[in-house]
Amino acid sequence: MHSKTKDIALGAVLTALALGLSVMENLFPVTAAIPLPGVKLGLANIVTLFALYELGALPALTILIARCLLASLFAGNFSALLYSLMGGVLAMLVMIGLKQCRRLSVFGVSIGGAAAHNVGQIAAACITLGDTAVIGYLPVLLGVSLITGTLTGFIASLLFRAMKNVHLSH
Amino acid sequence: MKSKSSPKLRPTFFDAIVVVLVAALALGSAWWFYGGLGRSGPATYIITHQGQEIARGELRQPREITVEGQYHLQIVCDGESIAVTHSDCPTQDCVRTGRATHPGQSIVCLPEQVVIKLVGSGSGPDLVIG
Amino acid sequence: MKTKYIPLLLALLLLLTGCGARQPEATRQIFAMDTVMDLYAVGEDAEALLTEAAQEINRLESLLSRTRAGSDVSILNETGTAQLSDETAALLDAALHYADITGGVFDVTIAPLVEAWNIHGENPRVLTGGEIAALLPLVGSHHLRLSGAAATLDQGCAIDLGGIAKGYASDVIARLYRDGGMTGGWISLGGNVYAHGTKPDGSFWNVAVRDPMDAAATAAMVQLSNQFAVTSGGYQRYFTAGDGTVYQHILDPKTGIPAMSDLLSVTIVCGNGTMADAYSTALYVMGEAGAVSFWSANRAEFDMILITADHRLLYTPGLAGRVTTEEGGAYEVQVLS
Repeated sequence: MHSKTKDIALGAVLTALALGLSVMENLFPVTAAIPLPGVKLGLANIVTLFALYELGALPALTILIARCLLASLFAGNFSALLYSLMGGVLAMLVMIGLKQCRRLSVFGVSIGGAAAHNVGQIAAACITLGDTAVIGYLPVLLGVSLITGTLTGFIASLLFRAMKNVHLSH
Repeated sequence: MKSKSSPKLRPTFFDAIVVVLVAALALGSAWWFYGGLGRSGPATYIITHQGQEIARGELRQPREITVEGQYHLQIVCDGESIAVTHSDCPTQDCVRTGRATHPGQSIVCLPEQVVIKLVGSGSGPDLVIG
Repeated sequence: MKTKYIPLLLALLLLLTGCGARQPEATRQIFAMDTVMDLYAVGEDAEALLTEAAQEINRLESLLSRTRAGSDVSILNETGTAQLSDETAALLDAALHYADITGGVFDVTIAPLVEAWNIHGENPRVLTGGEIAALLPLVGSHHLRLSGAAATLDQGCAIDLGGIAKGYASDVIARLYRDGGMTGGWISLGGNVYAHGTKPDGSFWNVAVRDPMDAAATAAMVQLSNQFAVTSGGYQRYFTAGDGTVYQHILDPKTGIPAMSDLLSVTIVCGNGTMADAYSTALYVMGEAGAVSFWSANRAEFDMILITADHRLLYTPGLAGRVTTEEGGAYEVQVLS
């Protein structure tokens, strides 16, 4: 059975979940441990990853953009929108690409996405600051993305295991 | 029934390739950014605010600089290092970054768009005439 | 991960670090032409290139020095006639051209006055009006005649290539850098600068122009690649007479006394080292108004940075984006148009 209403409802639930996660992760700023702008756990990426596999590329992208817009609205901080959008969209594109490679597990896709997210954020910072000095952070951020990507990949794998016999939209 | 795309849930060898690629990108960008700095002379700091250079000076000359904008940053150069000692920006990343002492290091405050860059022979004078 | 892939990983890392290999570089300091010269070259065989450059400088000095016996210039000054080397002849020809175009403000026949004032020497002294009046008629490029490589000089006259020889040497060395395939580097021949290629990171060379009022400070920074820059200013060398009057070292060929310029320094930036050397001195003597109108008439040939006695720093639009000055610095910055 295919229901449009169900898709919309599911999309909304996932968006809300992603939003909740990104708000939650602001309560535990990783930057306290690693004082670099833009270091995040990227918990919301779990939802993106999940949506990508369960619903497909287009719905996942829609959820991502909705999440970015709403998060910046909630935070009242529109300058952050460019960062999250550039990071998020680049991460999405990379994950869509990596997903095509059937031999990659959810870990590889997640790590690739996390790395792409940071590259996108650095690019956004270069644009808004008009300065390439922030590229100096890229090596560290990429290193951190190996850890955060593995972590989100691990959580996502638990999620997929739990959802194995649940059919959401098909 | 359409089968949903079920991801592999255990790490595979190919995941390691992704890891290696990301690590390679990290090292590559590190080399690209820091490799060209070369010989380090006396460090010079360059402070830009919203893309405009607002201060430049030698690290060994102590100085205090305040940046007034939407937020207020207190930057202190103590003769050996430079740091944002106080800021009322929401992220506080610039303050937590701590002290910068060597060419190539930088301190960034994204909310106020302030970049403090330390440069060595890279952007200081290579030679003097006159 | 299986252990057999570890060598693969290591090989990949090695490949990355291999990119870090730097090009050879070399530095050299030479004392010649009455000044200190610093040379820095980046590229294959940089060391050998600088050895060759040092030999070239010595060769040029032995041709162009006024104080070295047997040089083309010495022979001409002593005997009034000389069969010059092609190189000296070409340089004298250029000097005559610059004398012509600057209306005699740059003049190599100023040697008798330079010698009498002796500002560069050990015993500088203030000339009397009578002495100056006696020497002035000896100055003027009509006293020097050049026919191919044969030169003649009128009785009592002398030439001094001090205002152009280092610039010419910088041209010669710049050619060595280019032909030798250097990727970067710079030379500073007593203030005659040539910046070659780019830095290893691809950026231009930063040349700091000294603050005439504070030797430890920089008035402006200019970014150069494959260009020459020369600064002239009275502050570089001067002597203080018994009555406290300061006489700086650049003589005005028209008056026979040190130039009373309203400029503190003139920096010429262009693609020709000899021209940069000649013009920097000439425009300093001309003063602000003269320098600006000279540039207006010859703007395709060079760019310049003028620092005035009333604390302004003027530069030509060709340097826009390549000149940086400290905000709130000692000078009010203006771009010429």
